[in-house]
Amino acid sequence: MMSKKLIWIFAVTAIMLFAVLNVFRKGEAETPPQPVHKSVAVDSSKCIAPASFMRANHMQVLYEWRNSSVRTGNRVYIAQNGSKYEKSLNTCIGCHSNNRMFCFNCHSYANVKPKCWNCHLSPMETP
Amino acid sequence: MKKVLMPLVMVALLALIPFVGVQYAGLSYLFGVIIPYTAMVVLLAGFLMRLADWFRRPVPFRIPTTCGQEKSLDWIKYDRLESPAHFWEAAARVLSEVLFFRSLFRNTKAELHKDANLAYGSHKWLWLGGLAFHWSLLVIVLRHSRFFFVMVPGFTDFLDHADGFLDITLPTFYITDAVVLAAISFLVFRRLKDAKMRLISLQTDYFPLFLIAAIVVVGVLMRYVVRLDIMPVKDQMLRLVNFSVDAPGEIGTLFYVHLFLVSVLAIYFPFSKLMHAGAIFLSPTRNLTNNSRQKRHINPWNAEIKFRTYSEYEDDYREKMKKAKLPIEKQ
Repeated sequence: MMSKKLIWIFAVTAIMLFAVLNVFRKGEAETPPQPVHKSVAVDSSKCIAPASFMRANHMQVLYEWRNSSVRTGNRVYIAQNGSKYEKSLNTCIGCHSNNRMFCFNCHSYANVKPKCWNCHLSPMETP
Repeated sequence: MKKVLMPLVMVALLALIPFVGVQYAGLSYLFGVIIPYTAMVVLLAGFLMRLADWFRRPVPFRIPTTCGQEKSLDWIKYDRLESPAHFWEAAARVLSEVLFFRSLFRNTKAELHKDANLAYGSHKWLWLGGLAFHWSLLVIVLRHSRFFFVMVPGFTDFLDHADGFLDITLPTFYITDAVVLAAISFLVFRRLKDAKMRLISLQTDYFPLFLIAAIVVVGVLMRYVVRLDIMPVKDQMLRLVNFSVDAPGEIGTLFYVHLFLVSVLAIYFPFSKLMHAGAIFLSPTRNLTNNSRQKRHINPWNAEIKFRTYSEYEDDYREKMKKAKLPIEKQ
């Protein structure tokens, strides 16, 4: 009697497991994840920092830029190599607007929704 | 305090293994692909085996807990939650336990006062700390679904927003990150503070707390302090969800520490006290309807009792009974 119960339990869990895994596969196996962060062809030597640093820390840079430029009025950013930049999203978009999806590609992939575009024009909206 | 230090050292060592392995030995494939899959297999198989083992244990009798009126006559009001008579009432009792730790809410504390009076009082701190801990963990796990799905389900997206509701710091500070760390600290210090608690606490009580604390701390570090490029992390998690065995891309070492500690937790899970996650559903005092008055429960392994009915008795002694002029039912 007990073993029958056991078979039932195993059968039900196996079916449920199979169903769950199938849901996962159906949604995603047919569209394998495409790393989308390689597409931007920009002269990265002009950027304020190396691409690897920017990928991980751009939000921090923008955060500092916003606070220092708005609160203390300091609008000049001095990069590691000594060159100066205006602390503005336009500095970024000046180069990166060649790709309208520049921000959105990665941000939608990682499901990160910053509040930049509540006020600013995004690369998608700039002419 | 060997009981406390040993688990602490163990967790530190465990965190060091993937750090050294990936940073210096380049074993990112081992820690990014092989170990996570192994851990998931062990977790699933172990969990099912433990549950199957417990399912097989017979529970022949109902265990009425004494805090509610049992259902008997129609005009006597019975306590639906404390003494459930139907399946759904018992299910509600189990769920109230799972979701709100109802039994723990009744926790009391005995204190011996100076005038030698023993006093009992309500003591809800463990309930509150445990609730904060478990709910935070649940929210954190659900929040991680943004790494597992290409399109994040709306529900967890909402959780993500609600959790970052304070909208301070960058990246947005999650409330549960702070709550879970505070709760873990409380749960550890609760065991350390009281001499009686220290005595009954074992290494296996401290180890999961420290392990989860380490996972949280590494996760918090990755988010707020040592930033990682998150794109290859999502690539890798999507590959794992899709059962792909491709090698992971360039990911910061801390990610492997996080993933390895989670794998350790997953492997440790089925063999430890953490199995209470599945076992709580099988608690006989919670999940059995208290219907002993409506239904007779018979112990399945009772020995077969040979009954001797009166007619059999009469068959045996009919002649003698007739001679003794005793009344007989069948001539």
